[in-house]
Amino acid sequence: MKKIYLLSAVAAGVLALSSNANAYDSTGCGLGSMAWRGQSGIIPQVLAVTTNGTFGTQTFGITTGTSGCDPNGRVSGGTGRMLLAFLENNMEQFAYDAAQGNGETIKTVAGILNVDENTLAVKIQDNFGVLFASNDVDAVDLTLSIMQLA
Amino acid sequence: MHYLLFFITLFFPFFVVAAEVDEAWLALGHYQNGESSIDSPNFFLSEDGKTNPLAELQATIELFEGNDTTKQCVFPARYLYLQKRGLVQKAFPKCEEYDQFKADLQPKDVTLLFTDAYMNNPSSMFGHTLLRIDTKRKGTQMLAHGANYGAFTGEEAGAAYAIKGLFGLYFGGFTVKPYYDIINTYNNIENRDIWELTLNFSQEELDFMVAHLWEIGQTQSRYYFFSRNCSYMLLEMIDAVRPELKLAQKFKTWVIPLDSFKAVARKKGLVKEINYRPSRQNKIKHRYKMMTDEQREIYRQAIKAKDYHLSDELSMAQKADVWETAYQFVQYQWVAKKLELKDYRKQSFEVLRARSGFKDKGSIAELSDGKNPIQAHESKRLVAGGGERNGEVFEKIELRPAYQSLTDNDYGLIKGAQINFLNQEWRHYAERNKLVMHKFDVLSIRSISPIDVMFRPTSFQLDLNVERWQNPSDEREHYVGNFMVGGGGAFDLGENVRFFALVNNRLGYGGGIAHNSYGALGVDLGALWSWHSWRVLFEIEPQIATQKNFSQIKYNGEINYIIAKDWSIALSGEFVDTKGKNAQEYSLGLRYYF
Repeated sequence: MKKIYLLSAVAAGVLALSSNANAYDSTGCGLGSMAWRGQSGIIPQVLAVTTNGTFGTQTFGITTGTSGCDPNGRVSGGTGRMLLAFLENNMEQFAYDAAQGNGETIKTVAGILNVDENTLAVKIQDNFGVLFASNDVDAVDLTLSIMQLA
Repeated sequence: MHYLLFFITLFFPFFVVAAEVDEAWLALGHYQNGESSIDSPNFFLSEDGKTNPLAELQATIELFEGNDTTKQCVFPARYLYLQKRGLVQKAFPKCEEYDQFKADLQPKDVTLLFTDAYMNNPSSMFGHTLLRIDTKRKGTQMLAHGANYGAFTGEEAGAAYAIKGLFGLYFGGFTVKPYYDIINTYNNIENRDIWELTLNFSQEELDFMVAHLWEIGQTQSRYYFFSRNCSYMLLEMIDAVRPELKLAQKFKTWVIPLDSFKAVARKKGLVKEINYRPSRQNKIKHRYKMMTDEQREIYRQAIKAKDYHLSDELSMAQKADVWETAYQFVQYQWVAKKLELKDYRKQSFEVLRARSGFKDKGSIAELSDGKNPIQAHESKRLVAGGGERNGEVFEKIELRPAYQSLTDNDYGLIKGAQINFLNQEWRHYAERNKLVMHKFDVLSIRSISPIDVMFRPTSFQLDLNVERWQNPSDEREHYVGNFMVGGGGAFDLGENVRFFALVNNRLGYGGGIAHNSYGALGVDLGALWSWHSWRVLFEIEPQIATQKNFSQIKYNGEINYIIAKDWSIALSGEFVDTKGKNAQEYSLGLRYYF
């Protein structure tokens, strides 16, 4: 039951995030990434342009702007959504830290999951091969495996 | 009549109190010399609020006496301002979006970030500053938020972009993003270091900053590249929280991001912590430098062959170093578009699967310390000195508003990078008692960046100037307007010497030659030597030109001795070997940075 709940929470997050995937540019995604949605007249209008509606989750390969193009552009939501958003944007750094069994992204994930970072670090390194079973692992799979592990 | 008088005496004192416009109110409304820097009409409640802070204050008091909660929710910092002064009775309304904003940010501190120069983008050459709202969330500051003030530019590039930027045709505003996104952009994609300066704000000041960010986040203002830019707006933001700082006032004509960062760092009691976050490229370079010769050899072979089965000559910890560095290098190549996605993933995981089998840490500690840009020399430069040109003695004065030349002290700045902006040199020739402008650099950019085992940057330069030049046939001096672009490569020999070779294309106008114009192609060979307080530059540039007078070989050299952070003494010399009369000069100058 818990697992189903998790899955649906994550899936909701995926929908919210992936509909806003966009290309990298140095100013973020322009007005679309502003935190002040709905307050000023221009913004909803521009949002319609910046959201290109691509569906699908982030796979391995550094990008930025996934979160920057989220209409909220902020760290938000419950554990599952926050973890997914984090891993979508930091999968390469997380993989690096996971292989070493320590690092900033593991500390961050431990914080999001509210678990002890050292215990988590060991578990993650031990299960590196499980977490990154395939070279084409995507952020949703990774999020689910980490939540099960932790 | 009596009633009226009664009302006036009853309410008048209240309005007198309310009507007092203080320093804090002016800072909160971003008023500078009687006008607000904010351009969005929605920031003003009073019709003439942009130029009338008093009317705006009265309108704000009225707003919070009324029932328009939607509008009240836009101005939480103004509410805090009024509340502190007893000018508001009602409670601040419940504001769903603002509450969510605070709930997401979970503010703990405010940090000013400086990202160092990025020579590949003209608008980033002077670095960049942005704010970070640190978070109380469990984990790390990766979950904090960056608040970036920037211009909302369209697709246009080149001239249109520059002109729009210079003349305020773009609008600027704030965007908020998770800090991990900022790290990716600057550290991992653009390979720029980030310096984090955490401000010493009280809880009250922190709350005020967040509230004010919410207010300003809903506005836009005209964006000017040199004056009202990313850094300027952040100074006004900090002033709004602590009005007595008056940071923005000092930057009336232009704001260089590093100057603003230094200004904040130097305010007494404003900073509590500084932290360095190196770029990916600097991390890789550091690791490579720290490796043993054996590790380096094995590492080079591995990245070349793309085979990460390492020789057992290395200990496990040493192998871990090699794998970790190799992984970062693979990431770098992917970002630099030098790898296909499939190959990139294959290599990434090969390295990491090997690394994950080893439980302990590698032997190399991560790069944790850099050359603090706050300690870099000041960006304006004055040179006073004298010399001799073609047998004539002169005194000289040079003034450069910004920023750095190849032989200036590069501590805290990028070695091999030069941006001379609006540099002018005036000379007085004693014998003839003649004052002339010898040279005016509109812009001189050089990026001399070394190629090594891993990185292959292009070196380039660009010059736009007007200079006095001696025509070899009639030996008279004339002004020449020059435009030059060049590209090539550089490499380091050891820690101290950098060689470079660039091919330059020149177009010029003037010079007292037939048709007044010329085109030229030159090969610029140079060496830059840095050793303790010495910076020595030597260059030879043979060039062929459409006008025989410009077909020449130019030799020039500069020796600069750094006396202190803001003082140095430089000897420069130039010899131009032409088909007619040669030109030569040397001079000595005291450089002062301020």
